Amino acid sequence: MATYLEFIQQNEERDGVRFSWNVWPSSRLEATRMVVPLACLLTPLKERPDLPPVQYEPVLCSRTTCRAILNPLWSSDLSREVNGEILTCQVDYRAKLWACNFCFQRNQFPPVYTCISEVNQPAELMPQFSTIEYVIQRGAQYPLIFLYVVDTCLEEDDLQALKESLQMSLSLLPPDALVGLITFGRMVQVHELSCERISKSYVFRGTKDLTAKQIQDMLGLTKPAMPMQQARPGQPQEQPLVSSRFLQPVHKIDMNLTDLLGELQRDPWPVTQGKRPLRSTGVALSIAVGLLEGTFPNTGARIMLFTGGPPTQGPGMVVGDELKVPIRSWHDIEKDNARFMKKATKHYEMLANRTATNGHCIDIYACALDQTGLLEMKCCANLTGGHMVMGDSFNTSLFKQTFQKIFSKDFNGDFRMAFGATLEVKTSRELKVAGAIGPCVSLNVKGPCVSENELGVGGTSQWKICGLDPTSTLGIYFEVVSQHNAPVPQGGRGAIQYVTRYQHSSTQRRIRVTTIARNWADAQSQLRHIEAAFDQEAAAVLMARLGVFRAESEEGPDVLRWLDRQLIRLCQKFGQYNKEDPTSFRLSDSFSLYPQFMFHLRRSPFLQVFNNSPDESSYYRHHFARQDLTQSLIMIQPILYSYSFHGPPEPVLLDSSSILADRILLMDTFFQIVIYLGETIVQWRKAGYQDMPEYENFRHLLQAPLDDAQEILQARFPMPRYINTEHGGSQARFLLSKVNPSQTHNNLYAWGQETGAPILTDDVSLQVFVDHLKKLAVSSAC
Amino acid sequence: VTRCVAGLAEVEMAELYVKPGNKERGWNDPPQFSYGLQTLAGGPKRTPLTKRVAAPQDGSPRVPTSQTSPGIPPVGPPPPLSKGSRPPPVGSCPASGVEPINFPVIESETLLEDVLKPLEEALEDCRGHTKKQVCDDISRRLALLREQWAGGKLSVPVRKRMALLVRELSSHQWDAADDIHRSLMVDHVTEVSQWMVGVKRLIAEKRNLSSEEEADEEKSTATVEENQMAPGVQEAP
Repeated sequence: MATYLEFIQQNEERDGVRFSWNVWPSSRLEATRMVVPLACLLTPLKERPDLPPVQYEPVLCSRTTCRAILNPLWSSDLSREVNGEILTCQVDYRAKLWACNFCFQRNQFPPVYTCISEVNQPAELMPQFSTIEYVIQRGAQYPLIFLYVVDTCLEEDDLQALKESLQMSLSLLPPDALVGLITFGRMVQVHELSCERISKSYVFRGTKDLTAKQIQDMLGLTKPAMPMQQARPGQPQEQPLVSSRFLQPVHKIDMNLTDLLGELQRDPWPVTQGKRPLRSTGVALSIAVGLLEGTFPNTGARIMLFTGGPPTQGPGMVVGDELKVPIRSWHDIEKDNARFMKKATKHYEMLANRTATNGHCIDIYACALDQTGLLEMKCCANLTGGHMVMGDSFNTSLFKQTFQKIFSKDFNGDFRMAFGATLEVKTSRELKVAGAIGPCVSLNVKGPCVSENELGVGGTSQWKICGLDPTSTLGIYFEVVSQHNAPVPQGGRGAIQYVTRYQHSSTQRRIRVTTIARNWADAQSQLRHIEAAFDQEAAAVLMARLGVFRAESEEGPDVLRWLDRQLIRLCQKFGQYNKEDPTSFRLSDSFSLYPQFMFHLRRSPFLQVFNNSPDESSYYRHHFARQDLTQSLIMIQPILYSYSFHGPPEPVLLDSSSILADRILLMDTFFQIVIYLGETIVQWRKAGYQDMPEYENFRHLLQAPLDDAQEILQARFPMPRYINTEHGGSQARFLLSKVNPSQTHNNLYAWGQETGAPILTDDVSLQVFVDHLKKLAVSSAC
Repeated sequence: VTRCVAGLAEVEMAELYVKPGNKERGWNDPPQFSYGLQTLAGGPKRTPLTKRVAAPQDGSPRVPTSQTSPGIPPVGPPPPLSKGSRPPPVGSCPASGVEPINFPVIESETLLEDVLKPLEEALEDCRGHTKKQVCDDISRRLALLREQWAGGKLSVPVRKRMALLVRELSSHQWDAADDIHRSLMVDHVTEVSQWMVGVKRLIAEKRNLSSEEEADEEKSTATVEENQMAPGVQEAP
């Protein structure tokens, strides 16, 4: 292993884990002095084409409070002294015993392992299987369920486009998946699906909330026994019979559902001048949740809400129907002037929690020019692992392609979606788990490895993630609990096991187990080791997640102050400097990017709400709390590439000095892809050089960033906005607002040379930020 | 193995194009990729553009490494091609995927009967095995297809791809036929959504039918073999 960078990359590829620290401080006190908590970004179902799942079940530690899973860690250790007892080896092949590396319990191997030996090891003992996936053969398998909840208060061409997308999706769904349809406007209609040509539906008033029991009674769901009891004995392979009239296999009702969708009309209730249409989103969602709760609890299901405007009546209404009263803004919220916000949020939180308990997830596809109430509804997607998509219209490529991507398949031809996962985290004794931040809810499982101090959603060692895909990523935070005077023995390692039990899109039950270990180090004598193993990218994302998590409940400025304080403390701890001499301040390579990440994070839409609606903030934060490290880092500090005649495309500083006349810039902010042509390039293009054969290279130069942008667009979920602009163009503001304003109208002439583009802003530049940071870091007053 | 074949079929059968987004309805709407390009995206990738430059520790911007070449006045022409010594300013890999790739396309005009007749025959095969109502539903949609085709409402790509679909269906390449149906639904949903679901169902029913037939055949061969073996072999009950 040449460098820590390689080590970090290899671990991410193999285990889907990135730690803030890769050598761990050995005591609680020293760990708190490191400022950035010991934490990791975990992508539980990271795609591993090279890892075929094994077709048997994991071997568990027999101690009831432990139940850790047999794994390859320490299998090479010859001896290990624990509480005075010497374990000669983790695995004793002759006696067929293994010692748990979390609780040190000795366990007998199950009978089927009798023929194992040093040369005949099961996969889970081989070092390359620190991550392994088991397929569970037991238990009934249920088809996936997709319940469409469709707003009909849309403009004609929007509704048409949406209907076509839904019809198209029937071709992308697995044929045996169950589908259902609820439509809503002023009323809510639950459609009965059958092969007969007569369409029947149950109509509900949109103003009155109903309990789950009432909904189930009214839909007649209470009588029939659970489907699995109807399955004939002796034929366990057969799909259980499905009694619900509202959810039917795609392959049975695709023709009639296509017709039903095709015949959907706009909400027939008249909307008078100056009014919003009455939209019963709250009741529609409530019925969807109740329907699945009564028919298919604890089996993978997606409720997919398609809406073109805010809920305007009944429980969960976000704004009244008078158009002259605009939907709440940040300003209204600050002045406590958002009438419906609290009550609506409560309604959707209740639904989200019930959905999570049932193991289902809720997607929200909101397409409208104005806000649609994502702020109030966000918990539905955030707590259940559902998707949130925001667009201007259903008749856009942004929506259509994002929606198609939901049904994309992996290298095996399996859908990139998984359901009903529980993530369990086990730690060795020196560690406790403090919490998680991501698309999950707590399962409130207390235990010996749960910390009393919470970071994110804490107080538990297990979380539920109802919907996830191969990129879904959680931040998991830990606490070192060893006392200062009882240091961990030299060479000792701490271990963490992540156990993700989930329903694969093939409907199999699977368990993914990742077991990792890192070295302990004494922070006083070995600080350099700890420092060198700092992963500043992971640390930036993990700190940003903490910041965004706080921003949901605290005032913006308080969060910024907290972030600043952490940054100053980190620089005090790891910077090299003479007291009171800012010019002497230096950070080592492993920390060098961290301050600029924090600088851009402070300016990002995740912490700044200025210029964003509450819905937009909710949307940005939703995606920030679930993407993997690479994507999250792009959101914090966008990527900027420069194309010129001076060589191949190169990454350049996200700085106004990079905006040069003879360059083309490609900026990726995750939510936007911006292509910007410099002044000279624009003139050349106007002069038509790209069409002259002798300037073919100019044509190539113009084309290169377009090709690279397409590559990004094809891989990105959700589809970003795509902005083609040039020097002086009004949309150049997207670039200008993201670059570091190193040259502004205030200091332009101080630079002496006129390269780059001055930005008209009073924002603090990175230089000023770093100067202040140094001053504070070296000051003894802090 | 079958997956591999299907994968290959996907690549060859699908259209590869990018069309602009709907700028009227969506602000800065991204371009739209065809089904073929979307499914291709799973293949090998060029290195992603995710590199960053570290700002120097004093936070001040560096003077860019390569300055504007002194020989070229700002508003002069771009360096002409003859200055061939420069590395080509292409992206991190040559532009593939963007330009339409020329797959063998059927040049001659596709005839309605060439497409519809095999479909109707396939439907006839299914009658008696598949529920009458399902067959009638499929039949209704085939009639709609005929009507739209005859009325000149179907575009050339749709007609050509339907011919391909029928070819795959006739040669029992169910996965390939199904994949062409999917690509048509994704790329041309407005044109095909009303009747395509009938074709989709027909593919599924025909596939079921043929696997039943195969199973029957196997069973009958198995019975024959068993009968032949019966006298000599003693089997445990």
